[in-house]
Amino acid sequence: MSSVVRSFRPEVDQKKCQKCGICQTFCPEGTVMLTDEGLVFDYRFCKGCGVCANECMFKAITMVREEG
Amino acid sequence: MSTDKQFDEYYDRVHLQGGTTCCPGCGGPLLWRMILDAVGPKTVVYGDGPCAMCAIRNIKLPNFSIHFSFAADGATGIVAGLRAKGREDITVVSSAGDGSIGDISIGKVSAAAERNENMIQICVDNEAYMNTGIQKSGLTPFGAWTTTTPMGKEAMKKDLPMIIAAHKPPYVATASVAYPNDLKAKLRKAKEIRGFKYIHIVIPCPTGWRFDPAKAIEVTKLGVDTWVWPLYEIEASVLRVNSRSEQKPVKEYLDAQGRFRGMSPEQMDFLQRETDARRKNLLEANGKRLFL
Amino acid sequence: MSFTRMMEGNEAAAWGAKLSRAEVIPAYPITPQTELISNIASMIADGRMKAEYIKVEGEHTAMAVAIGASVTGARVFTGSSSQGILFMEEPFWMPPGMRLPIGMCIVNRSIAPLGTLRPDHMDSMLQRDTGWIQLYCENSQEVLDTIVMGYKIGEDKRVYLPVATCYDGYFVSATATPTTVPDQGEVDAFLPPYKHEWYSLMPEDFRMHGREMNIAKARYEVQQAQETAKTVIEEVERDWRKRFGRYYDGMIEEYQCKDADAVLMTMGSMTGTARDVVDEMRSKGKEIGLIKLRCFRPFPREELRKIAKKYKAIGVADRNTSLGSAGGGIVATDLARALYDVDERPVIADFHVGLGGTDVTMNQLEYMAKETLKAAKTGKFREAVDWVEFHDLGPVM
Repeated sequence: MSSVVRSFRPEVDQKKCQKCGICQTFCPEGTVMLTDEGLVFDYRFCKGCGVCANECMFKAITMVREEG
Repeated sequence: MSTDKQFDEYYDRVHLQGGTTCCPGCGGPLLWRMILDAVGPKTVVYGDGPCAMCAIRNIKLPNFSIHFSFAADGATGIVAGLRAKGREDITVVSSAGDGSIGDISIGKVSAAAERNENMIQICVDNEAYMNTGIQKSGLTPFGAWTTTTPMGKEAMKKDLPMIIAAHKPPYVATASVAYPNDLKAKLRKAKEIRGFKYIHIVIPCPTGWRFDPAKAIEVTKLGVDTWVWPLYEIEASVLRVNSRSEQKPVKEYLDAQGRFRGMSPEQMDFLQRETDARRKNLLEANGKRLFL
Repeated sequence: MSFTRMMEGNEAAAWGAKLSRAEVIPAYPITPQTELISNIASMIADGRMKAEYIKVEGEHTAMAVAIGASVTGARVFTGSSSQGILFMEEPFWMPPGMRLPIGMCIVNRSIAPLGTLRPDHMDSMLQRDTGWIQLYCENSQEVLDTIVMGYKIGEDKRVYLPVATCYDGYFVSATATPTTVPDQGEVDAFLPPYKHEWYSLMPEDFRMHGREMNIAKARYEVQQAQETAKTVIEEVERDWRKRFGRYYDGMIEEYQCKDADAVLMTMGSMTGTARDVVDEMRSKGKEIGLIKLRCFRPFPREELRKIAKKYKAIGVADRNTSLGSAGGGIVATDLARALYDVDERPVIADFHVGLGGTDVTMNQLEYMAKETLKAAKTGKFREAVDWVEFHDLGPVM
């Protein structure tokens, strides 16, 4: 749903992710979650604001242009 | 479990449905997740008005609002009703924006503080009437562009926390979404105190403050670290400063936002001097009973 | 135990709130309502009454507190007058629109300019479009009874509307008349505790009405509730008569109307004086009657249409103005609309009287009665509105 309004979507390099949880703490919408399978995003509701990518100290998240 | 299901469970647990209609990077939904985490599910939320209302719409707890000209008063009715029904185990969180508490409802909040109503009053401050398209409020800072102050606001930002503190309620605090542990600790403390508690949070507004949404937390943190928005508590009129005493240059904060682009070097210097004086006064008064 | 003594309207109203077991009372003082809330404060202070009394800082807040408390499930009582009613205008629309059966007193007082403390009906009538039920009282007893009946009417789930008990400042609020205060236990048997089926703010049972409704539908449903209220008002008043022996004839009362071609129509305290004038004129052989309009909202359209054909002229005493209106006072305008398509309809003689709280004197009522009798004979009334105050009608009597 949000992909209609989103220009960029976050994508994570799981190898760079240090599981600090800062992205999860500061995501305005709560659409970033640290799970046993790694970092996941709720693309139904993510708005692509880029806070997660900006706050990640390890540059594990990049904002990628939304297709279509 | 699928990702969707994991998130759905999470939204249930935090009582906040994902996917608000707030702008990307808005501090409102973030603030509400922190508030609800701290106060728990036996809570009624009263409030409306600010853009953060878009976040309140997603709250999965009992919530009710009238309009932004009704800060604290509907909540007073709810508190009285719960008392009449013997349900004082329920926490009432009353929320309103800067335009509400600072301007049109300032009398309401003053009166609720004076009556010492048993509620947590939150000010969700994005420093202008954002919901109606970025118009100046009494809490818009000096020098800021808004559609009604296109040359930059000439008056200073109202010091609401101190105004409320002058009513001598049991607890007043400032907080920031960039310092979540401090914010949540303050809310948990407020929940245990009986009487009128006031917590004022400045939240980032990328749309109105004119900056890239990705920088939302960075800008908010700068506001605190430059002492433009210092963190402190006033408990029974005794001040405790929570901010670190180190201070970044105010210019760093101003340069990070488009709304201050029109400020002259003289105006920026003025703001730096004002901020310095404030910092000095707060640090000197730290631990002391305020002269209110 | 019930008891009877002389009591001013504002004290009777406080007893009404107490007997109704109002749980949350937000109020702000304004003349001539002031004694109502200071009476309530005394009754709470000495333990005669148990309620959350919120001493708010303004009327806008008073109504907002009322709304919050009512949504939470508490029975709410408040009261105000004149400028205070104006100051609570913004939230005034919420209870009927939200279907919250708040009870309030409007202690009628005229509206500035020019500043006066004396009564006319402008403050309550300006709220006539909101959907509040409005009942007008003649004396202290009626005030007390109407407040308690008001909760039974408003809290009926076929209605779910707020009720305003209106009574004239000073002439009722501060005038002592014999009043019987019924026994609390008997009132409890008549009025059960408040429980709204559409609203709850308890975390274990959150219910909120009307968030998805569209405006036309919402307004329509309030209109339907106003229509249903007509039946409920009659039911409740008959029940009150059975239990307490007092009856106000429902929405309208016909007094001395037998064989009358002409009737006066009054509201509020002037009705008492009008009764005396009608009695005196009857004793002199003049066939004049009196209709007391007790319920203004819902306007008793059907009842008035039914009885209208009995009369050739109705002289409406409009203690209000609607400046720039289609012609005349508010009650006459409503009455004209109600009777517009009735085949044999009376002439409407419209009078402005008692504006700004000037006394409605026996001379003035006699004048109005005579003019109405004339209209009944000629089938015409010579002007849109007769401003009675401007005639020199002799000494005040």
